[in-house]
Amino acid sequence: MESVPERISVQTNVLNANQQMAVANRERFANEGMLVMNLMSAPGAGKTTLLEATIKALHEQFRLAVIEGDLQTDLDAQRIQALGIRAYQITTGTTCHLDARMIARALDSFPVDDLDLLVIENVGNLICPASFDLGEGLRVVLCSVAEGPEKPKKYPVMFNKANVVLINKIDLAEASGVDLNELTTNVREVNPHATIFALSSRTGEGMSAWTNWLQQAVAGRASAAMASV
Amino acid sequence: MHEISIAESIIRIAEAKAHEQNARSIQVIKLRLGTFTTIVAESLQFAFEIARRGTLSQDARLEIEIVPMVVRCVVCKASTQPSHGVCLICEQCGFPLEIVSGEELQIEYIEVDSEKEESPWSQYRSEFQFRPTS
Repeated sequence: MESVPERISVQTNVLNANQQMAVANRERFANEGMLVMNLMSAPGAGKTTLLEATIKALHEQFRLAVIEGDLQTDLDAQRIQALGIRAYQITTGTTCHLDARMIARALDSFPVDDLDLLVIENVGNLICPASFDLGEGLRVVLCSVAEGPEKPKKYPVMFNKANVVLINKIDLAEASGVDLNELTTNVREVNPHATIFALSSRTGEGMSAWTNWLQQAVAGRASAAMASV
Repeated sequence: MHEISIAESIIRIAEAKAHEQNARSIQVIKLRLGTFTTIVAESLQFAFEIARRGTLSQDARLEIEIVPMVVRCVVCKASTQPSHGVCLICEQCGFPLEIVSGEELQIEYIEVDSEKEESPWSQYRSEFQFRPTS
């Protein structure tokens, strides 16, 4: 017997296991004909308030449900349930992001086969969630003017991966001393393709442009699913 | 601090590969890490040292090759390496840039210690390898 050092080729992406699970989730969502939106932001940017306002605008047009991700508490799920919308809370403990397996597990006890839109509110964090595909069809990144104009420059990976960037709390722009044009330019620099909406979930300013866009995205999804039947 | 879950994934993938080859232990794990990911090499090294305990990678070295971000204009095809922040709009012509590299998070290879019987074939192979080329 002898000890032989040996090099073995691996050529595997480290996130491969998550990616495979995300592909399975994506297939399941496609088969059920629903649009799945992964909503990401820093803590306190206003994800849940945005969702509340979006739900109020759209709940009569289509069937939707929400999966909430937080380290602790089911406070966010309670806020959504208070609107009469089904919500499921994932508490991650210490994990700073949702992953595709957590979503697959949630779906075991949270049936979503009758939905037009499933919103997944990720853990508030502008770093890690960018790396973990959940199987969503729509990636939405929310930032608020109160965070300052430089968030896209500081967290370019997160903003780069977004289909839609929502700039929230524009009613606070003046008080925060933030130039909305500068913030929009900074988003554009790291993501030339994203659709950008500036709005305030609290006052409702700019909300209808976003909810109309989302309504069309859901409708487009439904007709695409019907066409594939 | 998602580097811990990344380190655990690296160890799981390496271990599965090592088991396939009946290896006793893993000595080296070679990783290509792009600069346009959310992973910090130093944090990953630290997380790896914690996560490797009690695994085949217990004594393994994590070799990280940093892959710089390279972007290219979709129109004028000019390639650049962003140095001060990331701007994905071409300075030359104003069109969007595409990312050519920098998003890598890939295990290239592992080096393992295997226990193997001496066989005529292995002897032949080592002779073959050391035969001078003329």
